[in-house]
Amino acid sequence: MADHLVGGLHCEDVEDLAASFVLGALEPAEADAVRAHLAGCPEAHAEVAELGSVVPSLFDTVEVVAPPAALRERIMAAAVADTQRATDTQRNADTQRAADTQRATDTQRVIEIPRLSDTQRSSGGSAAFRRPLWTAIGLAAALALVALGAWNLQLRGQVDQLAAYRNAVAAVIDQAAQPGAQLAVLSQPNGAAGPSGLAALTGGGTSVSMVMRDLVPTSGTEVYEAWLIEGANAPVPIGSFTVDAGGTAIFATSAGAPADGSALTLALTREPRAGAITPTLPIIAAGKAAGQSS
Amino acid sequence: MSGPEIVARGGPGPNADRTDQETMERLANGDLGALDRLYEHYGAMSYSIAYRITGNSAAAEDVVQEAFLGAWRNAARYADARGTVRTWLLSIVHHRAIDAVRRRRPTIELPEIDTGLPAGLTMPDTWDEVAEGLDRDAIQVALARISDVQREAIELAYFSGLTQTEIAERTGVPLGTVKGRLRLGLQGLRAAMLATGVDRG
Repeated sequence: MADHLVGGLHCEDVEDLAASFVLGALEPAEADAVRAHLAGCPEAHAEVAELGSVVPSLFDTVEVVAPPAALRERIMAAAVADTQRATDTQRNADTQRAADTQRATDTQRVIEIPRLSDTQRSSGGSAAFRRPLWTAIGLAAALALVALGAWNLQLRGQVDQLAAYRNAVAAVIDQAAQPGAQLAVLSQPNGAAGPSGLAALTGGGTSVSMVMRDLVPTSGTEVYEAWLIEGANAPVPIGSFTVDAGGTAIFATSAGAPADGSALTLALTREPRAGAITPTLPIIAAGKAAGQSS
Repeated sequence: MSGPEIVARGGPGPNADRTDQETMERLANGDLGALDRLYEHYGAMSYSIAYRITGNSAAAEDVVQEAFLGAWRNAARYADARGTVRTWLLSIVHHRAIDAVRRRRPTIELPEIDTGLPAGLTMPDTWDEVAEGLDRDAIQVALARISDVQREAIELAYFSGLTQTEIAERTGVPLGTVKGRLRLGLQGLRAAMLATGVDRG
């Protein structure tokens, strides 16, 4: 193997440090030097990957212990809080983009008007067959303006809905943080992509606050029905709601029966009309409740 | 909860990885359900690793939370990493747990932590696994094939977070000997795992 000096290390230094490197047993500065060498060296340094390939197996030598039940809820709450920060940033960017679009639209309008006026003023000669062209451009511009306007409105609607969803998520998290409350993360039973959300259960399941997103809108008499399943008992309907084109739902009910302390599961189905007493499959989303009381 | 309770399994094996890939895609799209699913699969294993390294349940919980939040924020970067979702996630847990124990020790110089980057942005190095698909028993068998001093050196490095220099001090042998033990130990494990894999394959 030819020797190369990359990242302050020779190839043979990297060989010498490889085992300690893959096990994380180097000082941070040494590890960075190895990384820099590997990134820049023309040699493949297969020995590093070979030794490294053993390392993940070491995880399987660890005795498995159960984490505290509240950890899951803590992580979910932290992720939700994180999402809100990210959403705020995104929202600022969206607002900025909407403002930019509005400015661009204004500029376009200023440019288009004189052109249309020129066309209207011109008469005879070549202008006669130029007019339809200008008119066509004017029409396209007008359509573009309408489209942009509609897009702005739609954007504003989305931002408002996002804000409402975000606030509702925060409220659900707050409720779930109360003593004795539980949090359920609703997702697809088979783990596929689809509607998801959160629900806070208080009073042993007597009150439920739920927030969902990515739901298919309801039409006609259709409703989404929420079900509370206690242990192995039959699902009990606790309330229904409709969903508009935004796909989000914010729902609160206190119709649930007091539970005896068995595990609670929340499920959501789509029903042809309100008042279902048994759920119509498939389950749209479901989640087990977990919290301080578990 | 009083003391750790032993549970039967540490999450699904590498065969779960195709489903895991889907979970990662959903995670990259900001799907909270996917994060919950990841926790359902690997929460116990993550906590166990963090607990083994930190030896403290509060510290272990913090590590697992940071690691999952790191995974949540960096799910889109998973595509650049090598190995399975399981290895990626557990490596993040390991990385952060080692960081936590090293910060408790004054003996090692760590770079400034306050880089302004959110927690979890420093990602661990990962490699393709030689033992993908091997069960815990087979790994224990491989571990029994290497010498006690090699195993001790690997454990001090990987689970106690000691640097090679610190291992030399702790065990009273020259640095060159420590490097040799780590190298020969990993090579011995690799050979034993490959042999088992061939036997079974």
